[in-house]
Order: sequence, then C-alpha cells, then structure tokens
Amino acid sequence: MNINFSSFFPHWLRNIVALWWLPTLGFILWWYISANSTSFFFPSLSAILSVLYRDLSSGLLVGYLIVSLSNMAIGLSYAIVLGVICGLIIGEFKMLREVTAPLLNFLRSIPPAAVVPIVIVAMGTDSPPKIFIIAMACFWPILLNTIDGVRGIPAQMLETTRAFRIPYHLMLSRVLFMGALPQILAGIRIALAAALVLMVISEFFGASEGIGFYIRNKKEAFAMAETWAGTFLVGVLGYLLSTIFLKIEHWLLAWYFQNAPEEKTKLNAVKQA
Amino acid sequence: MKVVNLSKSYGSVEVLSNINLTVAPGEFICIVGPSGVGKTTLLRSLSGLAKLSTGTVSIGDEIMDGPRAEIGLVFQDYRGSLMPWMRTLENVAFPLQGKGIKKAERNKIALQCLADVGLEDAGHSYPWELSGGMQQRVAIARALAYDAHILLMDEPFGSLDAQTRLGLEDLVLELRKRLNISIIVVTHDIDEAVYLADRVVVLSGKPATVIDTVEIDLGNERNQLTTKSDPRFVEYRNRVLKEIMH
Repeated sequence: MNINFSSFFPHWLRNIVALWWLPTLGFILWWYISANSTSFFFPSLSAILSVLYRDLSSGLLVGYLIVSLSNMAIGLSYAIVLGVICGLIIGEFKMLREVTAPLLNFLRSIPPAAVVPIVIVAMGTDSPPKIFIIAMACFWPILLNTIDGVRGIPAQMLETTRAFRIPYHLMLSRVLFMGALPQILAGIRIALAAALVLMVISEFFGASEGIGFYIRNKKEAFAMAETWAGTFLVGVLGYLLSTIFLKIEHWLLAWYFQNAPEEKTKLNAVKQA
Repeated sequence: MKVVNLSKSYGSVEVLSNINLTVAPGEFICIVGPSGVGKTTLLRSLSGLAKLSTGTVSIGDEIMDGPRAEIGLVFQDYRGSLMPWMRTLENVAFPLQGKGIKKAERNKIALQCLADVGLEDAGHSYPWELSGGMQQRVAIARALAYDAHILLMDEPFGSLDAQTRLGLEDLVLELRKRLNISIIVVTHDIDEAVYLADRVVVLSGKPATVIDTVEIDLGNERNQLTTKSDPRFVEYRNRVLKEIMH
C-alpha cells in the first residue's frame, strides 16, 4: 500500500522541516559530543547555554547588546545616508565617476579592521570611534552599489524624465533612487554583515562595555564558557538581522522581484562575485 | 510648430540637412524614410532633447531651447520609458507632479487620460503586468495627461504585434479628432504612415533631406479595410515606396 506522507502534514510544517533539519542535527550532535567534554577550550554546550542564560537574565548581556546594537544602528544609518546620497550624485555624472574611481578603489581596498587601532588612538574609547569604524566599513558597499544601480537605469528612462521636464529633486527621489533601490538594498545587505563584524572587533580594543568587550574580557579571564556564549550570541544575532533584512527587502522591492526574474538573478550573481 | 533650416551633425558627420516643416494645429504628420536615415534624430531634435546644429524649431512665436510643456513624447520602447516601480496611474500622473499639480487633481487627470486610451481599470496595475499594447497606451495616456498640444511618437507601434498595432493606429486617429492635437509619428512602415497621416514627409539621402511631402487626401474618416483598399491609398503608398527604394 502506498501512503502519501506529505498529505498528512501542512505545507508550512514541511517548509520548516526542510529549512531546519540540518541546524537541528548540528545542534544535537554538538550537544551530545560536547556533553562530557573535559577540554578547557571546548566546554559542553549545556555549560555554554546555561552561562548565556545566566548573563542574559541578569541583564548584563542585554545591556551590552543594547550598547553594541545602537552603535551598529547609528553607524549603519550614517553609511546609508552618506553612501546613497554620494552614490546617486557620483552615479549620475560620468565625469565625477571617472575622477573618483581610482580614489574610491584604493580606499575601499583597505580592510576596515586595519583602521581600528588608529581610530581608537585618535578618537578615544567611547562610542564615537566605534560608530565611525562601522560607518566606514558600511559606506563602501552602499556607495559602490548605489553608483552601479544608477548606471543600470535605462538611458531612455532618464530621457523620458527630461522630455517631461521632471524637476531635479523629483528625478532624484522618484527615478534615480527608486531605479537604483534594488542595488542599494543589495549594498546594505553586504554592509549589514560588515557592520556586525566591525561592531564586535571595534569593542575588542579600548572598550568597557558591549558584546565584543564581553567576549574579549571573558577570554582574558579564561572564562571559556562565557567566551563561547558571547560568540554564539553574535552568531544568532547575525542570523536574525539578515533574516529580518531579507523580509524588508522583499517588501520594499515587490515590484522588482515579480518583474523580470532572469535579470534579477543575473544581478545577484554579480553582487556575490 | 515650425521647423526652419534644421540641420544636425554628430562631429563632422552631418545627419540631417536643411529640414523645413510646418505643422498646423490638429494636423497628423508621418515622417518616413529608410532605416538609419536619421528619423529618430529628427524627432529628438523636434522634442528638444537633442541640440540642433543649425536652424530653429519654434512653437507659435517662441523658439524652442529644450523640452517644452506643449510637447508629449512617446518612445518605441515602452519598457524603458515607463517606470516599473510606479503603478500605471502614478506613471501617468508623474509628469503632472513635476508641474506642481496637487495629488487629487493629478490623479483625476491621469484617470481621465487612462480612460481616453481605454485603460480606466488598469490604474492600479504595474506596467509590467500589462501587455505590450496596453503599456504603449499608458505611455500615450501619459503624454496626453501632460496636456501636450503636440504628440511626438517615435516608432510607437514598432514593437507590437500586427493586430495590436492596427488597434492603436485607430486609437491615435480618434484621439487626434477628439482632442484636436497635432501628432507627428516617425515610422518605417509606409502603409501605416499613409493610413494615419494628413501629410507624409519622406526623408532620404546622406545627409537626410526632405525629398518629398505627400498630401494624403483620404479624408478624416479612415478605416483599416476600406481605406487600405482605396486605389488612392495604393497610389500614395507606391509613390512613397518608390522614393524610399531609390
């Protein structure tokens, strides 16, 4: 007798299973393999999670998370505003593109992490240097994607706005910005990952609070379970942020994802490269 | 609209030479010529998008020095000309926003113009949800909403299938009659030109000049079947065809 199992389970349940079976398996394996760990560097997962629970419920990690995430949000916001505005202007004028290209290519090749020590020496240990570092790291992908996005707008669309004498501010906001939005958001997606990295690294040096400080501080104290707990938390954070961002992106770009799917995949392939 | 001694060069290559043309209000002109002759360049010059090398284009007594509010433009490629992130109604209303018209007012005008082209129900759709013919009608509605007295169309039906094309030809003729606007269409399709126009302007040569202007005396009522089988229609068409083939 042939039983069709799939008809027993609703569609959403099968989706969840398809998405989560591997992470769940990994989690279970980690749990059991590490259960009787005596290694100093690899404590058991249950120890890590109980420490994580302890420091979250005591409010210590929650406070650190608020500090770190607000640095990240402010830095990312600066990068988005500056990156998009500069990108729209540079993207629109061919001459400006050509003049700025060598400088941009040099500056963006500097790994932002390499700048961390200088910035901290120069700006001190408060939030501003951390915000600055995050903003700097996020600025490049957003800027370069915005420039590409503007260049990808069909020439005829710009001619149309000229023929209908659309004023400059409207052209900027409703044609250039909207036309470049798919690439702008792709740039922000890359920036988000960079922001998370720099959020942690910027707190490794000269910091007295934040999730990065927690990880480093616990490591210095040889509290390995806490160090792992902090790292684990950053991983979960990164996953949540990118999931939320993808939802926002799909919502903002409904017109784009339903339109011309083959061009969309081409574009994403370029982005990944 | 009056064109005097228009010529246009790209670098040292002269594309258009000494073009003279007068378009009366309510008149329908078709510009034909072999491909690559410079038809689109002429249309871009008339629209104010391209700078003239010599000569002038004027509307009434005023000499044009750029795109004008009196002129609505319809491109061949509707995909590159309608904004995919705006709904149909927003696309039509967008140039009105540029004119500073309030939202309620411009939506009313846009809806009216969509109704003029038979798309009163499509305002909420995105352009890419519509067929090619419907998208081109949206582009025409946008030009109408702009309140242009002169409609310039560059191969407007070139990328549509034959049946849709015939329907849109009749739509444009009807709009001309109802709204009393001047229409200038650039096309390589001689049948289309003779069917639509009061006057067919034939461009040829390098640089292109007007080699003939054919008055089409087929009356104001045109019909895809009877007009196109009229012996005079055939005569006009053959005359233009011979000139272009030379």
